[in-house]
Amino acid sequence: MNLKEIKELIEMLKGTDISELEIERSGVKVRLRKGGDVTFHPVMPRMEYPPAAIVAPAVTEAPPTPAEKPVEPMKTNQIKVTAPIVGTFYRASSPDKPPYVEVGDTVKKGQVLCIIEAMKLMNEIESETSGKIVQILMENGQPVEYGQPLFTIEPM
Amino acid sequence: MFKKILIANRGEIALRIIRACKEMGIKTVAVHSTADANSLHVRFADQSVCIGPAKSADSYLNVPSIISAAEITDTEAIHPGYGFLAENASFAEVCNSTGIRFIGPSPDSIKLMGDKAKARETAQKAGVPVLPGSDGVVTEESSAIEIARNLGFPVIVKAAAGGGGKGMRVVMSEADFANAFVMAQAEALAAFSNADVYIEKYILQPRHIEIQIMADEKGHAVYLGERECSIQRRHQKLIEEAPSVIVDAGLRREMGEMAVSIAKTVRYRNAGTIEFLMDENNKFYFMEMNTRIQVEHPVTEMVTRIDLVKEQIRVAAGMPLSFTQDQIRVEGHSIECRINAEDPEKFTPCPGTITAFNPPGGLGVRVETAAYTQYVIPPYYDSMIAKLIVYAATRDEAIMRMQRALDEFIIEGVKTTIPMHKVILSDPDFQKGDISTKFMERYGNPSK
Repeated sequence: MNLKEIKELIEMLKGTDISELEIERSGVKVRLRKGGDVTFHPVMPRMEYPPAAIVAPAVTEAPPTPAEKPVEPMKTNQIKVTAPIVGTFYRASSPDKPPYVEVGDTVKKGQVLCIIEAMKLMNEIESETSGKIVQILMENGQPVEYGQPLFTIEPM
Repeated sequence: MFKKILIANRGEIALRIIRACKEMGIKTVAVHSTADANSLHVRFADQSVCIGPAKSADSYLNVPSIISAAEITDTEAIHPGYGFLAENASFAEVCNSTGIRFIGPSPDSIKLMGDKAKARETAQKAGVPVLPGSDGVVTEESSAIEIARNLGFPVIVKAAAGGGGKGMRVVMSEADFANAFVMAQAEALAAFSNADVYIEKYILQPRHIEIQIMADEKGHAVYLGERECSIQRRHQKLIEEAPSVIVDAGLRREMGEMAVSIAKTVRYRNAGTIEFLMDENNKFYFMEMNTRIQVEHPVTEMVTRIDLVKEQIRVAAGMPLSFTQDQIRVEGHSIECRINAEDPEKFTPCPGTITAFNPPGGLGVRVETAAYTQYVIPPYYDSMIAKLIVYAATRDEAIMRMQRALDEFIIEGVKTTIPMHKVILSDPDFQKGDISTKFMERYGNPSK
C-alpha cells in the first residue's frame, strides 16, 4: 500500500458519510478516521480477519463475518499448510544453511518444510502430502500464530 | 510500569483487563482460539495471536502456545484473569522462569492455598476460625466415622484437591456416613486424580461472605470489605452484593483483619479473596482462599471506588499499594447479576446467535460484557453473556435500580437467566436480606 493509494482512499472517503475506514493488506493496516489521524502500523497477519472493515456511523452494526485473506487465487486442488503452533517461522535450520524448500520444489509427505521456533525449541514442520511448492506465504523470521498459512502445495 | 501485557483469557474479563491497560497506557495482546476470532477482546486489543483450535485444552489452557505468543509479541507481563490458568501454579512458574511477569500471587501461594486441606491449616495457623473438622486428610473409614460423631451431624466430606463446588458430599446422619465416605473418595479420585478427602461440620443455613484483599511486594496487605454471595445454585454464584446486610463495621474489621492475617502468613501478593461461611449466630468460619481476581470484583469496586485490576497491575510492576487501610471506605450498595445464556428454569446452556443486544444504562448502572448484536456464543466455553452491576446509596435503591436495569436489558436470539434474576429480586426474603446459600431451593433448584 503506497502513499498514492492512501491519497486516493482519503479522496474517496470525503464524498461519503463514512466516518471511519480500516483496510488491511499484505501485513499492513491502515485506519482512516474523518477529523482524526491516519494510523499506519504493521500488524501480525490474522487468518480470520476480513481484508476491509467498514464502520457505519449511525447504526450499531455487527462486526463483519470472516473472509479469506487476499492471497493469489488458489486452484481448488491446492492445499494450504498452516502453522500448528505459535512461534517464529524460519525457512532453514540455521542462518548459514540453505532454506528447506523453494517455490517450485517437489516435496514428499513427511519432508521438513520449515522450522517454527517456540520457547527456544526448534519444531520441524513436516508436509502432510507429496506435491509441489506453489507459494511460500511467510518471510524468514516472521512471527506466526496458530492456523497461519505458511505454504501452498499442489498435491501430486 | 509494563509496556505490554498479554491477557491469557477471553470474554468479559479479557475486555476488563484490556480497558485497565489502555487507561494506563499499556499495550495489550489478546490471545484467542479459532472460535473467538471475532471476539471483542481480540478487536479491542492492540495485537492478537491465535493460539489454537476451539477446545480450551488446546487454546486457553495451552501453556506453550500462550508463552510462545508472549515471546513473539515481546510481552512483559501476563494477566490470567479468572478460571483457565489463573490458579495454575505451574503456569505461573513457567511465566517467571521465562522472564514474563505473572500478574497474581507467587506459584507457592497458589499451590498452598489451592490445596483445600493445607489452606485450612494455614488459616488455623493465622488464628482464623475454621469450621470444626478433621485435622487434614482422613483415609480410614473407622477414624472418619469417629471424627464425624465428635463433630456432630450433619457433616460434609470434601475432596482436598477440589474446588468450585465440586467433590463434596453432605451427610445428614450417621446411618448414611459409611457409604457417603467411600463414594466421596471415589468421586474425588475420578474428578481430581486425588482421592484425599477431609471432613467438616456442616452448617444448615450458611451465608457465604467473602473478603477482598490486596497485597503488594513489600508485604503491605489491606482488606477492601466483604461481598455476600449467598444466592447460588449448585455452588455457582448467581447474584453478589457489597456490603452484606448482616456485616456491620465491627464485624467487617474483624473479618478483614483475619483475612489480612492469612495473607501475611503466606506472604501473599496481589489480589485474593478469603471465603467465609457464616452461621445463624453470625459466627464465621474460613472456607477457602481464591488466589485470583474474581468474577464479582466489580461490586467491591463500586462501593470502594477502587479499580482492582489496575491495582493488580501496579503491584505486579513492583509499586506499593495506592492506598492505606484507613483510606478504604465502603459506601453505598452494589449488586451484580450474572446473566448467562441458559434456560432460566432448567439452567441448561443455550449457545447460539444473539440477534438483538441492547444493554441498560443510566445512573449507577455498569455492564461488563463481550457480547454484541450478531455475536455467536460458542458452545466451548462458559455461558456467561454479561455481568450487570448497579450501585446506589442504599440496598433498597440498588434493588430498584437492578430491577429497572433488568427490564431494560434486551437480549434476543438466546435464552437468558434475566427472568430468573427478576424473580429473585422481587422475592420478599431477598428484599429483607434474609438469605442463605439455601435460598434457591425455594425455586426448585437444589443448592447441592
